[in-house]
Amino acid sequence: MFKEMQSLANAQMTDASPHKVAGFYPYADNGGTLAAIAGDGFVVIGGDTRLTTGYQIYSREASKLTKLTDKTIIGSCGCWCDSLTFTKGLHIRLQYYLYENNKPISTNATAQLVSNMLYQKRFFPYYVSTIVAGLDADNQGAVYSYDPVGSTERHRYRAQGTAGSLIQPFLDCVLGRGNQTAPEPEKLTKEQAMIYLKDAFMSAAEREIGCGDFLQIMIVTPQGVEEERFKLRKD
Amino acid sequence: MFLTRSEYDRGVNTFSPEGRLFQVEYAIEAIKLGTTAIGIATLEGVILAVEKRVTSPLMEPATTEKIAEIDAHIGCACSGLMADSRTLVDRARVEAQNHWFLYNENMSVESVTQSVSNLAIQFGDSDSDGNAMSRPFGVAILFAGCDEDGPQLFYMDPSGTYVQCDAKAIGSGCEGAQQALQEAYSKSLSLTAALKVLLTILKQVMEEKLNSSNVEVAIITPAAGYRMLSKEEIENAIKEIPA
Amino acid sequence: MSIESYNGGAVMAMAGKECLAVVCDKRLGARLTTIGMNHSKIYEINPYLYVCLPGLATDALTVYQRLRFRVNMYELKESRKISPQVLCSMLSNLLYEHRFGNYFIGGVVAGLDPATGKTYLYAMDCLGAITIGTEGFVTGGHCEEQLYGTCEALYRPDLGPEELLEVASQAFLSACDRDAGSGWGAFVYIVTKNKVELKSLKARMD
Repeated sequence: MFKEMQSLANAQMTDASPHKVAGFYPYADNGGTLAAIAGDGFVVIGGDTRLTTGYQIYSREASKLTKLTDKTIIGSCGCWCDSLTFTKGLHIRLQYYLYENNKPISTNATAQLVSNMLYQKRFFPYYVSTIVAGLDADNQGAVYSYDPVGSTERHRYRAQGTAGSLIQPFLDCVLGRGNQTAPEPEKLTKEQAMIYLKDAFMSAAEREIGCGDFLQIMIVTPQGVEEERFKLRKD
Repeated sequence: MFLTRSEYDRGVNTFSPEGRLFQVEYAIEAIKLGTTAIGIATLEGVILAVEKRVTSPLMEPATTEKIAEIDAHIGCACSGLMADSRTLVDRARVEAQNHWFLYNENMSVESVTQSVSNLAIQFGDSDSDGNAMSRPFGVAILFAGCDEDGPQLFYMDPSGTYVQCDAKAIGSGCEGAQQALQEAYSKSLSLTAALKVLLTILKQVMEEKLNSSNVEVAIITPAAGYRMLSKEEIENAIKEIPA
Repeated sequence: MSIESYNGGAVMAMAGKECLAVVCDKRLGARLTTIGMNHSKIYEINPYLYVCLPGLATDALTVYQRLRFRVNMYELKESRKISPQVLCSMLSNLLYEHRFGNYFIGGVVAGLDPATGKTYLYAMDCLGAITIGTEGFVTGGHCEEQLYGTCEALYRPDLGPEELLEVASQAFLSACDRDAGSGWGAFVYIVTKNKVELKSLKARMD
């Protein structure tokens, strides 16, 4: 999607003028990968901490996950400056919600708000892949994913970002079990979900240069949010 | 008394030396000329009932609507200048829908009341655009609904002040009705019992004889949301109350 | 859309302990339209040696025929079976001969030595640049990225033929299901020292 938008932008630039013009390229692709898995009474969301531009690594310690409330986490990657601006704006909107409604915002309401905020910039979008992960009103895990203009869907598990295409089919295999006749294994535990996330990111870091350095995982349960970090390949 | 007031009751943005805003106080007085509206919150749901003054036999009673739906889970009853109430009800509806659009959840009753009070207090605000009026709105509103915290009733007066109530009466018969409500109300009241209480009190404070065409009743429950009672249902309920 | 992904399709080869799985999907498309649902991208050189040609189908057929010609000539001249290494070089050279005006295909060569049970995996791009599949699997085609993800996460070394079939199929189908250009089931060759089995897998048909 990003590549297509970029090439479209370039094409328009060259169409506009027969001469070579120094174009205005307002977007950067700083990479990053996100994945989240929901279960009964928990949700885990992971993001790598590598920040890149092309083959250059800007940072090995850039966290893509932000805690919004005790029940909701947002992960945002893509154009780093847009990620920062968007999450900052979201914080403001959530604070406003708290003041106007006298209660912390629910995960589902956050999910809808994020979609609207992205769509509000339909014609100059935030260049970000987003995942909202949290517990819903029944304390069930919920994962929502978004494209840059706010198209959204609720999932049981989801991967996004540069290595999203590598991780998603793996999660389909172990969690979606679309091509398996074997009986569904016992209920997914938080620990098992963590193992899947770690496996997924370690595998992705082997093959995708935009993914690596560290894996940051946030675990949401009714008791609150915990955070863990694991090492990934640094090359 | 009128002599001392006359200097300071012309503008809505001028305090009297005693620190009062007479226009707002007059607006609150205006409510007492309106028809009686009563709301009562129980654990099972909230009921709103209003008196309709049918001033002429040639008038079609169904065209005076003093109870309005705000959203599927919230209704309101108005007393005072009904024309003013349209603006406020419209704001409440817009805010409720906007909240749903933005957050994909029902707006709480308090938040709806809050947003309407934001409009109510904008009188005399020349910088504000749109709906701001040059005088206070001449209506009091009872907001009744069921949200996450259960059945709730809020009362808002023309100054924009709002407060949560278990039971509240507004309009011309409010003093007598409020007294009667205090005596009859208990937290454990069932919905049917509450309806009886409401109609009994309304009957006492109304000048006309209570019948199914000069009263409007709406019930808001967590399960069914906002529902206006039909003529038949009101007739049946009236039969139940002591004559 | 690039011409290499005009027809869609994906291939993969995975090595086990003295066994080999060679997998391809069955779709043949024309951009977004599916025009064939039983199109193999695997070409048998001999029962122990397979070449997969994902990419533009017309080029794949031509390259296979030219390769076949060279293999036949090699085996006649040398009076011996072609080895996986030689086949890989041969295909690589064939592709590089068209360095300017290339074929729009990739190449995967997978072979098993029936004497030792050693497996040989190679992948190459459209110009013949070889990658040796030392990790135990090689991939190619339209959903290469997805295949790398699943293979990297699901592959384990020294699998037996039954387990290899399961792992390879799961990795391949999961990857294809996330790619609109590949799918409609898969063909799997399970090659062991004394037997070759061709399985036809059914998957989601969309």
